[in-house]
Amino acid sequence: MPSRGALALVPLAIALSVLAASALWADPAEEAPGGAGVSAEYTLGKKAVEAKDWTSAIQFLSKAAVQDDRNPDLENLLGYAYRHIGRFAEAFRHYEIALRLNPRHRGAHEYIGEAYLMVNNPAKAAEHLAALKEICLIPCEEYADLEKAIAAYRAGHRK
Amino acid sequence: MAYAYLQLGQDREARRLIDELAAITKFSGGRTYGRDTGQAAPASRFVLERAAWSEALTLPVRTDVYAYAQAMPRFVRAVGAGKLGKPDVAKEEIAQLQALSKAAENSYWSEQIHVLVLAASGWHARAEGRNGEALKLMRAAADLEDSTEKHVSMENRLYPMREMLGDLLLETGQPALALQAYEASLHAAPNRLRGFYSAAKAAKAAGDSATARKYFEKLVALAKNADPERSEVQEARTFLTARP
Repeated sequence: MPSRGALALVPLAIALSVLAASALWADPAEEAPGGAGVSAEYTLGKKAVEAKDWTSAIQFLSKAAVQDDRNPDLENLLGYAYRHIGRFAEAFRHYEIALRLNPRHRGAHEYIGEAYLMVNNPAKAAEHLAALKEICLIPCEEYADLEKAIAAYRAGHRK
Repeated sequence: MAYAYLQLGQDREARRLIDELAAITKFSGGRTYGRDTGQAAPASRFVLERAAWSEALTLPVRTDVYAYAQAMPRFVRAVGAGKLGKPDVAKEEIAQLQALSKAAENSYWSEQIHVLVLAASGWHARAEGRNGEALKLMRAAADLEDSTEKHVSMENRLYPMREMLGDLLLETGQPALALQAYEASLHAAPNRLRGFYSAAKAAKAAGDSATARKYFEKLVALAKNADPERSEVQEARTFLTARP
């Protein structure tokens, strides 16, 4: 059992060595959480989504999904990309996978809700709004955005 | 390491380590999540583990780090504001936390920050006298934290949310339920100074002297080399001396 005095000598050395060595030990998913999983395809897919290049996004993310089939963020992005090119069947499939992997995924609930509005199914959108209410408990942006989208949809269909 | 010092009641060693970490400005290798959280967590825990709420609002928040590393001091500031009876300040910090949750690098960190949002909102509700809402939010924070895995980038959870639920139950006059929460928390996060202390206080308030004694004894054993100013240790020794 080291004495307290001896213990006092080591913390900085340990802290420094841990901090310095962490880049060597850690897996890429830990160290680059912006690209959880982090294959090059996933990173490129995310960039393509940001650039609104939906076709490239789908190509890269689909390849990434082959290597990482447990990533709800990846599935959510795939759903988002398919939604933007109007391929709703694929979009719903990927959103559902995202929500199966993480039933509390706020982004997936918001986006699938918006997708349901696009296919004129406000009842399903409302289900995801209710889910977001349960998940957030307090007002959150995903809930507010979907609530606004549902209100706009209903206003548009009253005319 | 700072976490260990805090559990041993050696606050001066923890403080020294935090100051040394703060002085490090150059790192080898690329920026990592673990590096950012490793730098931010000790200073945040230093306030939480000592319940030093008057220090919470001066805790700095770096914005050039990953989301959870920004969220930790924000959370401490929010809780501190709630504890100090400043709900407006707490609300501002919670809004910042929510923005971090939305902007987090992936859904894992978004959810971990949401745990902090819920708990901070619990203390905010408590500061406004909405005790029922406070308990609902804190229970949700504890349940959500318990349902998720700790990330390897964090040596430990920032602070056990179930222990915070116990604090809220104790504050709202429910010591038996508080004791249950503390014991459940100690099962998941064992050998915690504040966990032992709080369990002993709850047991004492519930009229269970034997259990209070058990936890005070564990506290004194854990903190046998604690700094003398650590009041929880002094209180435990006083209890044990008065009831041999």
